[in-house]
Amino acid sequence: MLILSRKTGESIVIDGRIHVKVVRVEGEAVKIGIEAPSEVPVHRREVYEEIQRSNQQALTRQNTALPKLPSPKPVKPARKGSKVP
Amino acid sequence: MNSANVIEIEEPETVETTSGCEVRMPAGLLGFEQIKNFLLIANPAEAPFRWLQVKDNPSLAFVVIEPFFFMPDYSPDIPQQDVNFLGLSSPDDAAVFNIVTVHNSKGATVNLKGPVVINRNTGVGKQVVIANAAQYSVQHPLPVNEAA
Repeated sequence: MLILSRKTGESIVIDGRIHVKVVRVEGEAVKIGIEAPSEVPVHRREVYEEIQRSNQQALTRQNTALPKLPSPKPVKPARKGSKVP
Repeated sequence: MNSANVIEIEEPETVETTSGCEVRMPAGLLGFEQIKNFLLIANPAEAPFRWLQVKDNPSLAFVVIEPFFFMPDYSPDIPQQDVNFLGLSSPDDAAVFNIVTVHNSKGATVNLKGPVVINRNTGVGKQVVIANAAQYSVQHPLPVNEAA
């Protein structure tokens, strides 16, 4: 692991196109700003690993038998439920 | 049968077709970032489940489901960066699917923290870590019939 020391306001450049900046330090918490191309996904590590594990468990083959759900009546809300700010 | 046909999303068309439509995921899935091309396949006999099949390796697939079948008030808060990335101009542009883990023929769980969100008009999708992920489980149990 490359370890660099940065002060508030200072940045790091990764691969010439990903910028990581220390925005603010509040006690033990560090607010980090990331600028990256939109196709580069950036996630908090613990959530990433949790979902990665879940995806790995979920990967299957198309002949997998699926459980039956009780009468799949779609209850579609007026909005699709995705909050677009 | 239509199951071998691929419907390209050229015109505005909903994702709910009865055979397969292409979904392009430029960032892949978490842990599978290299897999960018999928087919979303619906077999009516398996509804409401669908398959997100790996286009270049059709034997691999993920089971997905629209969350509103079992959780009508699911409210994933999609971060603005992801809204921009997907080019969503309204909530209606987004098709939301959650990945299902089938544990056995009687049990399954669904990931509510990281839905796959697809722009219905472009077929571009992303696995989004929702801003309110703490509110939901990555292994939410699906209510299944005991007598399958």
